[in-house]
Amino acid sequence: MDDIDAMFSAMLGEMDLLTQSLGEETVPPEALSNTKKEVNYSIGFTDLNESLHELEGNDLDALMADLMADLNATEEKLATEIECLKAPSASQPDFPPPPKGLSIEPAPSHISPSSAGSRSSNVSTPVPSAASSLAPPPPSGAKPTTEEIEAQMKADKIKLALEKLKEAKVKKLVVKVLMNDGSSKTLMVDERQNVREVLDNMFEKSHCDCNVNWSICETNPELQLERAFEDHENLVDPLSAWTRDSENKVLFQERPEKYEVFKNPQNFYLWKKDKTTLRDMKDKDKELLIQENFCGTSIIVPDLEGVLHLREDGKKSWKQRLFQLRASGIYYVPKGKTKSSRDLVCFVQFDNVNVYYGKDFKSKYKAPTDFCFVLKHPQIQKESQYIKYLCCDDIWTMNLWVTGIRIAKYGASLYENFKTAEIKASNSVWTNRSTPSSSNQSTPSPTVKAKSPNQANGHATKPQPGPISQNPAPPPPPPLAEVLPPPPPDPVLPPPPPPMAAKTASKPTPPKRNQPNNFPPPPLDMDNLPPPPPPPPTDDHLEAPPDFLPPPPPATGFNSLPPPPPSFGGVDHSLPPPPPDPVSLPPPPPDPVFVASGAPPPPPPPPPPPPAAPVATLRPAVRTSGSLKKVPPAPPKRTAPTQGGGGGGDFMSELMLAMRKKHADQ
Amino acid sequence: MAAWDLSVTVEDLGLDAPPVTISVASDLHIGGVILKLVEKTQIKQDWSDHALWWEQKQRWLLRTAWTLEKYGIHADAKLVFMPQHKPLRLGLPNGITLRLRVCFSNPVFQTVMGICRMLNIRHPEELSLLRPIEEKKKKKDKNLAPEIYDLTEVPLSSVSRPCLYNGMPAHFADSPEMEAIYKMLSVSQPPPAPEVIAKQYRPASVVDKAHINGRYVWLDSSRCLLQQGIQESDKLWLRFKYYATYDMDSKYDAVRLTQLYEQARWAILLEDIDCTEEEMMLFGALQYHISKVAQSEPQIMSNNPAMDDLDSALQSLEVKMEGEGSSASDLPKRLTLKGYKQYWFKFQDTSISYFKSKEESIGEPIQMINLKGCEVAPDVNVAAQKFLIRLLIPAPEGMNEVYLRCENEQQYAQWMAGCRLGSKGKTLADSSFQSEIQSIRSFLAMQKTNSSSSSANASEESINTHSLVSPRYHKKYKPKQLTPRILDAYQNVAQLSLTDALMRFLQIWQALPDFGLAYVVVRFKGSRKDEVLGIAPNRLIRIDLSVGDVVKTWRYNNMKQWNVNWDIRQMAIEFEGNVNIAFSCVTADCKIVHEFIGGYIFMSTRSREKSETLNEELFHKLTGGHEAL
Repeated sequence: MDDIDAMFSAMLGEMDLLTQSLGEETVPPEALSNTKKEVNYSIGFTDLNESLHELEGNDLDALMADLMADLNATEEKLATEIECLKAPSASQPDFPPPPKGLSIEPAPSHISPSSAGSRSSNVSTPVPSAASSLAPPPPSGAKPTTEEIEAQMKADKIKLALEKLKEAKVKKLVVKVLMNDGSSKTLMVDERQNVREVLDNMFEKSHCDCNVNWSICETNPELQLERAFEDHENLVDPLSAWTRDSENKVLFQERPEKYEVFKNPQNFYLWKKDKTTLRDMKDKDKELLIQENFCGTSIIVPDLEGVLHLREDGKKSWKQRLFQLRASGIYYVPKGKTKSSRDLVCFVQFDNVNVYYGKDFKSKYKAPTDFCFVLKHPQIQKESQYIKYLCCDDIWTMNLWVTGIRIAKYGASLYENFKTAEIKASNSVWTNRSTPSSSNQSTPSPTVKAKSPNQANGHATKPQPGPISQNPAPPPPPPLAEVLPPPPPDPVLPPPPPPMAAKTASKPTPPKRNQPNNFPPPPLDMDNLPPPPPPPPTDDHLEAPPDFLPPPPPATGFNSLPPPPPSFGGVDHSLPPPPPDPVSLPPPPPDPVFVASGAPPPPPPPPPPPPAAPVATLRPAVRTSGSLKKVPPAPPKRTAPTQGGGGGGDFMSELMLAMRKKHADQ
Repeated sequence: MAAWDLSVTVEDLGLDAPPVTISVASDLHIGGVILKLVEKTQIKQDWSDHALWWEQKQRWLLRTAWTLEKYGIHADAKLVFMPQHKPLRLGLPNGITLRLRVCFSNPVFQTVMGICRMLNIRHPEELSLLRPIEEKKKKKDKNLAPEIYDLTEVPLSSVSRPCLYNGMPAHFADSPEMEAIYKMLSVSQPPPAPEVIAKQYRPASVVDKAHINGRYVWLDSSRCLLQQGIQESDKLWLRFKYYATYDMDSKYDAVRLTQLYEQARWAILLEDIDCTEEEMMLFGALQYHISKVAQSEPQIMSNNPAMDDLDSALQSLEVKMEGEGSSASDLPKRLTLKGYKQYWFKFQDTSISYFKSKEESIGEPIQMINLKGCEVAPDVNVAAQKFLIRLLIPAPEGMNEVYLRCENEQQYAQWMAGCRLGSKGKTLADSSFQSEIQSIRSFLAMQKTNSSSSSANASEESINTHSLVSPRYHKKYKPKQLTPRILDAYQNVAQLSLTDALMRFLQIWQALPDFGLAYVVVRFKGSRKDEVLGIAPNRLIRIDLSVGDVVKTWRYNNMKQWNVNWDIRQMAIEFEGNVNIAFSCVTADCKIVHEFIGGYIFMSTRSREKSETLNEELFHKLTGGHEAL
């Protein structure tokens, strides 16, 4: 244990150095809890050192991996800067600039237009190594037309912007997650990760059955509240709202109500019907309900109306009111008025509040029953008049309302989340059952999903007819999930064909991240080499295409610009290494571009992960905040749609889309 | 066979001209009759669209191979020889009236298909024709007949999908005039003047809504126009009838999307569908935004959208970089906190910090307020020069209320825009900052002009907010009271593109609880009082008239069969689980109800068959009733 500690402090020290040299660009995790003073920065964990001591061996490995990745990211970033900003000498790594000195800041905007020439084509070259030595192809040779120059300048700007955006500081938290059995796991969560990714991380650590009910929850003992985070939510944000002395906890547990609405939609959408009708609902009718309410142009919120008890502001009493749920908020019928829409009074709208379950409110607040829910701004952590308390007559009503509110608030995301969760669940089943022959690298079989038998709660996967069937994404569409080594509970695995991958897969412990060390080719694997601070210009920031792509000279020049969306840089490193045979390698970059631009994915894609990846990343990009940016702490191997993407993420994805579209048009 | 005389009125000879008499035998087929007729008139023209109409039997003789005998035509038959396509005045959902040639001889379903083909509206099965029963002639100002846009010259084509030039059907690309008409179809209209809204009929209750089906009658889809008493140049309305919009794609559906939006907008403005006040404000904000954007980007489909995207992406990039370059732009402005204490404020990232004075602004602020996730509300009175920004800032203990008082409009607009962005986690470097300022200013301008002006004109600076909401709110709020409320809602939609804004409007409309309901007053079998039947895209509901409550719901997917007893005009429906209902219709013909139900069932079958072709036969089977047999 001692030497590990030593290693840690050494590493942290190194990171410190690196970060300093970047002028506070990255906030190393340890800075979080100790140094920051702003109100909004308080974090409810005991500080990092402490939590480091608590770590069990396994977690330590994982954390190490995370930290390593972190280091590499920092370093990569550094390299990037050096690469593209040779001018400002201040950014030499071993020459720490003044702390606040964002010396690089102004530079790019000046540089970009003027130095548009050949050098910039280096920058845009997605070649991982030897970028500078590779003669920048066409543009420099032929006399560029004005159009080309213009295009070049644009490309440069994009390039620079991407770099800028990437520099945005990434907040990370070390989170202790309580398990059902009272034990706990510790993991590092970075602010770009969404709950789905964290869940996947937990799946690996816990070897649970991965069913759709698993949730990450937060509890607030002071207010006696709890809620399950939605899978698309970012985790760091809500956790950052905790006060420093908070006793809030993060739990990993099964919550059947999480996706109950997709298993038994009739209980929510036809709740007025009698119980037997609801119980005997046929599967095809359930599907129809889902289709009607979640697959149309707009998401339909269950038609809820009923008398609830409302805790009066500041008073101890509870008052009954007739409430109505609408897509736009919760309303109540004022005294003496009709139920007509125009007379309704708005009680709350959902933009700024979350819905929580209240625990034991009967004794805490003298509530009529213990079936209470609460609406509050996520930042409110203590008793306040701005918290709205509602109490239902029974648990059934409470679940009806809470689910209804979630549908109104999250809309389509909820269904998307469910579909993703289902795929994860069935994949885990599939891999657990898989025989050696169905190696990880094999193409996804379209039947996979259809036959996952032990899905949550007997929610048989439905062979959905019609349009639905495209939605649940029959075979997990982006092969990512398959291609990636699945959680490795099955040690029998190792199939010969792609030996490397098999090895990865069979390794039971989480820190996959360290694995790549063993592999021969990856030129600039960010995982294996720790610091070498000023890595040669070779290290092409995150644009680096998957390491194993045959370095394609950017033949088309600017057009081929962002071949693989930046995300892959990060993702790929955690992917299993390429099949050894370079001939079977992924198609050249343009392919993924086409795939991504909306065309149906090539039906049986060749095994390699990258070409398909764009599809995966594209989806979230469209529907929620951006996703393309993805740097190190990619959780070992799942990681299809990477969420997050910090401040610029949204914009980045748009940009990538635009680029691709443009590319496709030409 | 014996020859006898048949007299036929030829419309082309004029209304007063005597019938043309020809000598025929009973075994002569209709084609032969027409040939003889044409020869007799001695007029050289294209007769190919002409056909014979048998007046007594109210039917077209379209089978030219059938003999007179087979049709049962004798010498006493009154036949009219006329074109099958005639001009009609057609009111569109956006209030524009077109004059165009439509088919009078085929079932209305096909007539609608033809109209939609001409107007470039996909999925014609969702639309139908309404006949306004009582065209009120009382209004004096009716003399000012609305302008009618003429499309009668458009050649009739039978191509199912017209080829597009410049994003519009070829016949619209012919001349600038035609192009202007197309633009009118595909771009939403500016908000109507409040008086126009107030003048229109508004249903006050469900029963009123049910009676709409008595005031305006849906034409029978399985019979032709002439059979339903529609004459040349009559006025009909084209409307979306089945609220089961399928496969909407803004790339192909410019007209369809715009017209559906217009129909939805009028449904909201005239309270055909109820909504809450908050929803009304959001609808108002979207209308404002849509009309603004529609006017500023007239060419929706020209250019290369991908290139546009890229350009705008690049533009915002530049802004971003500049923003970062100047290291978190600050907007030092003197503001006052509630209680009129002056501080020096600085906006940085998503936070506001304040200091005792400008000189101290380098050091530690007195307080720093992070705006992310906070609520921002205006408290403005232009006349009184009061420009307050109310901030509700979340903190662990609850929400802190802070008022910032700005000195003038300019300052207010900037800080308000900054706060809005900050609350969404965006910085001043965000590309939307300027447009945010712009929109705040234009709303302020609205407040100024509203106090005096009465009617709205199209200029964006002076939209009367009364044009955006139903008349109920005209009484409840003055325009300047309405402005901040709409502005408030506007913040969440201001960044939407035209298409997205249209779609958002439709989505919110579709999410209203009463969406898609057509009401009919019915009498259930065994019941002694009138009740209202609501017909929705996926269900039938029974509404108690006295309370207005939904008593019962039946979903179509549980429906086993339904029958119409045409003699006693009663509908009987059987659902799974031995549920049987029967009712007769009071405010509408039961054919209308029958067609609604059958139509919705037809709509629900569409998704399954992937083919683009419309299964017309199935539609008629489901909606035709006894005529179909």
